[in-house]
Amino acid sequence: MTNSIAGFEDSGCIFIIGTNTTACHPLIARRIFRAKEKGAKLIVADPRKIQLSRFADVAVQHRLGTDVALLNGMMHVIIKNGWHDQKYIEERTEDYEALEKVVAEYTPEKAAGITGVPAEDIEQMAELYAKNSPAPLLYAMGITQHTTGVDNVKSCCNLAMLCGNVGIASAGVNPLRGQNNVQGACDMGGLPNVMTGYQPVNSPEVNEKFSNAWGRPLSDKPGLTITDMIPAMLEGKLKGLFVIGENPKLSDPDWNHLNHALKKLDFLVVQELFLSETAQVADVVLSAASSAEKDGTFTNTERRCMKINKAIEPIGNTLPDWEIISRLSTAMGYEMKYNHPEEIFDEMTALTPKSYAGMTYERLGIDGLQWPCPDKDHPGTPYLHKDTFARGKGKFHGIEFKAPAELPDADYPFALTTGRMFSHFHTGTMTRVSRHLDVEQTTGYVEIHPRDAQKIDIYDDDIVVLSSRRGEMEVPARVTRAVPPGTLFLPIHFGENPPNVLTDSNAVDPLAKIPEFKVSAVQIRKLVTELIENTGS
Amino acid sequence: MQAQVEQWLKEGTVDLFIGYKKIDGHVMPHFFTKEKIDEVKDLVAGQAHYSLEKIATKVAAEHPDMKIGILLARNCNQQALNVLTIWNQLNSDNIKTIDAFGDACPSEQAEDIAPYKQQNGLSKSMVPEDAEAFDQEQRFSRWMYEFSKCMKCYGCRNICPVCFCKECSLEHKDLVGTGNLPPEIPVFHLVRAVHMAGRCIDCGLCEEACPSDIPLRLLYRKVNEIVKDVYDYETGTSPDQSPFSVLGEKVVLETTKL
Amino acid sequence: MDYKFVPSVCPYCGTGCGVLFEVIDGKLAGTLPNKTHPVNEGKLCIKGWNMHEYVNSFMRLKQPLVKSFGRFLKTDWDEAIRITADRFKEIVEKHGPDSIGVLVSAKITNEENYLAQKFARAVIGTNNVDHCARL
Repeated sequence: MTNSIAGFEDSGCIFIIGTNTTACHPLIARRIFRAKEKGAKLIVADPRKIQLSRFADVAVQHRLGTDVALLNGMMHVIIKNGWHDQKYIEERTEDYEALEKVVAEYTPEKAAGITGVPAEDIEQMAELYAKNSPAPLLYAMGITQHTTGVDNVKSCCNLAMLCGNVGIASAGVNPLRGQNNVQGACDMGGLPNVMTGYQPVNSPEVNEKFSNAWGRPLSDKPGLTITDMIPAMLEGKLKGLFVIGENPKLSDPDWNHLNHALKKLDFLVVQELFLSETAQVADVVLSAASSAEKDGTFTNTERRCMKINKAIEPIGNTLPDWEIISRLSTAMGYEMKYNHPEEIFDEMTALTPKSYAGMTYERLGIDGLQWPCPDKDHPGTPYLHKDTFARGKGKFHGIEFKAPAELPDADYPFALTTGRMFSHFHTGTMTRVSRHLDVEQTTGYVEIHPRDAQKIDIYDDDIVVLSSRRGEMEVPARVTRAVPPGTLFLPIHFGENPPNVLTDSNAVDPLAKIPEFKVSAVQIRKLVTELIENTGS
Repeated sequence: MQAQVEQWLKEGTVDLFIGYKKIDGHVMPHFFTKEKIDEVKDLVAGQAHYSLEKIATKVAAEHPDMKIGILLARNCNQQALNVLTIWNQLNSDNIKTIDAFGDACPSEQAEDIAPYKQQNGLSKSMVPEDAEAFDQEQRFSRWMYEFSKCMKCYGCRNICPVCFCKECSLEHKDLVGTGNLPPEIPVFHLVRAVHMAGRCIDCGLCEEACPSDIPLRLLYRKVNEIVKDVYDYETGTSPDQSPFSVLGEKVVLETTKL
Repeated sequence: MDYKFVPSVCPYCGTGCGVLFEVIDGKLAGTLPNKTHPVNEGKLCIKGWNMHEYVNSFMRLKQPLVKSFGRFLKTDWDEAIRITADRFKEIVEKHGPDSIGVLVSAKITNEENYLAQKFARAVIGTNNVDHCARL
């Protein structure tokens, strides 16, 4: 996020696109409610009718995967009416012409034709967003999990820069991170092309610095992303996989494909809290301690690095992940000897000059610090790009709309999208074992509009069969007007109804390699079984 | 205060004292024990609204004979203790208290004027008469507005010092539908309101824990007003269980086979 | 007597709400919102309120497991680490460091992520490091 959670309360207009915030980030939704009650405008764009839609000044349900067209349509209206921030564009940005040229084509009528959103609504969205600064834009996986994920994000940035909404308080472009430490995992160099603090692996200076610090020559060749690792496994190039606290068997696209790939591995190690779907097929399972059983830090979506503290001893014969990795390293002939995570933290901050260098456990306290925090006196940074962008000037991109990889057709007439529901989390390993969460939703389900339900003669809790070009699965139906006719929604938490049986691993963003979980074409039919007639009593 | 607690712990008058301590600028609940007697000098009364009584019930559930000292920061802490004692959640023989009243009550703290809420909802600073000044249709739509913000965190129940049922009606599928946001409204909130009749001691912690700023205290004040009018029962100070003693632990709702 | 309140951060979504773990007799008895935390100001969602339940779950793995002829056998740390280290070394020797991939995690701490990528880069010798930010 460029900005801070608390700051949303003081905004003039909040634009929500591709985030079901009350279900997935409730304590951010709280700030949205408060902003609204204090007088801010609220725009909600989501293919489903979400809880926040009820409170929006404009709520639209655009077709799956048409975000670029919707945003371009808004920008067209803004530029046509001269509502853009000319001074900001001149002083802070470049390549404005590229944007102008492309969005000139996207009249509200054209955008309406692609998105299914009435042209008047697009005009109203544009006006509300442009005229009520500061206006933060909030998005989540609804924007990124597309073959056009990068295009979608760039379009969000275009819109925000067009109205001078980047680099001021209570505004910005704000991806809401789905996992407690996604931000931290990226910051720490958990990516194939960068070290800590996004220092590129192929930079000679970076390579030299880390090689010296770690006492080993390091490869300067960027590695494989998770999406590229799967074909590498199938081709037999990737022989061993070490999975820490993840459940790709349920979270990766195309279950069958991945299953096949995992079987090809010579050696799979999974480090986990639970015997997850992935752990079940591992050769070695390393039992890890939970976050209540260790010290360390997490970095939240607003870049706030905060300390977690050990509350209880590790349960059973489990060890904190840092200790397991240290032991494994040492066993492989590279000694890692740390008495406490604080020593690791200090080693990391020394190698991460721009963002984490000024942090120490003592300084973090309970409130934590928001990076960049480059030195010991720096108070942290509530919002980014205040006077200048990381690259100097903010760059506009002219982005054309591209349709999703797979659209409904005669064989697979429904558009399927996936996401979360409020009481469960990701692949459900943590929440489905929790009594108070399980009680809310014990099984998977698929949301279907009443009109579609009527056509195939199904009612709530009837079992339906969903099939796509990849595979098929059974799941109970939930009949609801939250989805529009022709669209189905499937939550991702339930291993017995895995959405990735249906989704496509080949449909990925060419740059970010993020799979298009949000759009697949499927077919739905009622499961017909021969039941013994219930004679009743 | 510190001297008293130190003496109690040393003499064994209490085995455990639940008070507050400041850590990194945050006033937090803290267990003071004889083993770490030095910590008692850090005991503060402070501006913090945690339900120390409820924490005591958790300890008492594990160790029924343990003698527990509790810091009372507000008058409602005392009332919560009364209710918990009446309902056999705490044994008054094992509880010692220290009064350090003076901490501000959550809803007495100034609330921002939120124009949209004023127009469509109900303010936390309202008393039941204020809400009743609206006609029925207005009142209904305003409550529905407030309830429709609910994100079903159960924070109102979880933080509540006098909520202790092992099986909660709010999680009973036949009473309240599950799996959706907002929860089934207004049923979810009315089920809880009914259960607050004769229980709620008006401490305001529910409202403070609510991420959606729903004026829960107003709702429960109204139900307790009715309890007072109809049964002449004063929750928190009356010495007996409320007329609604059938609610709670004793009743188990089970679906019967047709 | 192990009775304490431990300030920490919720392990679910990326919001990063401040919590207090209630530790009674060395066991995790409950979770409370931190009333004065800058992120959540004393409020939590349904997942945050119940985070102690997954920690205490009987489903938790209690010891390392090693698969032998398709079945998991319980083992101790020394053996689990030795087997893992030997197999990784064998693969690196035979097929080179880029034949191994490491998936770090959005659920573990910064310190652990740092070590995990250091493990991949310095110990194995590959940049095949990724995690599920995309998923």
